[in-house]
Amino acid sequence: MDKLKTISWLLLIISLLSIGYALIFNPANWIVYGISLVAIPVSILSFGLIVMAKGRKEDEEDKRREPFIGY
Amino acid sequence: MNLMSNILLNVIIAFLIGSILFGLQRKIMARIQGRPGPPVIQHLLHTLKFFIKESAFPKTAAMPFYIAITAMLCVIWVAAVIVGPVTGGSLLLIFAIYAIHKIVEHNAGSSSGSPYGKLSCVRAVYSAAAEVPLFAVLIIIYLKAGTMNITSIVNYQSLHGPLLFAIPLAALMFFVLILSKSPYSPFAITKGKDIISGYETEHFGLLRGYLMISESIAWYMLLWIFLTVFLGPLSIPAYLIGMVILTALVAFINATTPLLNPNHSVMMQVSFAFIGIVGSILLLMI
Repeated sequence: MDKLKTISWLLLIISLLSIGYALIFNPANWIVYGISLVAIPVSILSFGLIVMAKGRKEDEEDKRREPFIGY
Repeated sequence: MNLMSNILLNVIIAFLIGSILFGLQRKIMARIQGRPGPPVIQHLLHTLKFFIKESAFPKTAAMPFYIAITAMLCVIWVAAVIVGPVTGGSLLLIFAIYAIHKIVEHNAGSSSGSPYGKLSCVRAVYSAAAEVPLFAVLIIIYLKAGTMNITSIVNYQSLHGPLLFAIPLAALMFFVLILSKSPYSPFAITKGKDIISGYETEHFGLLRGYLMISESIAWYMLLWIFLTVFLGPLSIPAYLIGMVILTALVAFINATTPLLNPNHSVMMQVSFAFIGIVGSILLLMI
């Protein structure tokens, strides 16, 4: 598993756990606001990074050989 | 209801309704232009589809800023949901959120390294002049209702009637702001098709889906704020009908007007602001 996937899994688990904590233990309002502001966006992003499709290894060389090299 | 579940529920509702309304807008625009158009759920399907599409990050992107800025857009509109439907907080916070939305447009464009993104980034700064109407709306509401708290404004309206009839020009200015945030709008210079997709050009795959989630929440929130602040206490069906009417109105305008160039767009919005501010002050004095 590459580094991006590992970090994404970690962030997803942490954010889901924090949302679960706020749901079950009902902490002070400011803690819930903090958790929702951080955990909701992070959980969606990390989920996306986990499920996104990646290009095939065989195609990588072709992509590199493109004449367009950026701006 | 538990606060966290309340926030989660409101965010999910905002996303789903915002997506459906975007789909409805495209459908109405297509029918006006004599095309069958995509299904109403197309925007929602696109959003979900982008998550499983092949994603790659451009070499020219400024990492990790390029990814973090998409999260920033989500953070601010989740904050808007908390300030609006969940707590009924201050309109000033909504103004701050809207201002940060501009910064996100600017930074998403500049972080991608694409010339289209950079043009959009410049236009985002340029169009910040068009934020004058929003600030003017807040001041006019404060002068009329004596508060900027959403809950207090709703209470004021339940006693004195909807603000839409008391300060119609302020409502018009806010509507122009809503219009400027819709896709294919004459004022949508940061996402104009002349610069491909503007600041979103290089954000594709899951990042595009992520941006689309935030934009759906943003659309729902802008409509929610308009209906709450100008029409007062509404039932859930009334909110839904109001949102559909506003979306249809926006779709009609977008389908029948061309995309303005940046100079014309900003000048027109500033002109609306001038008429709105002067007219509202005169109405308040009468």
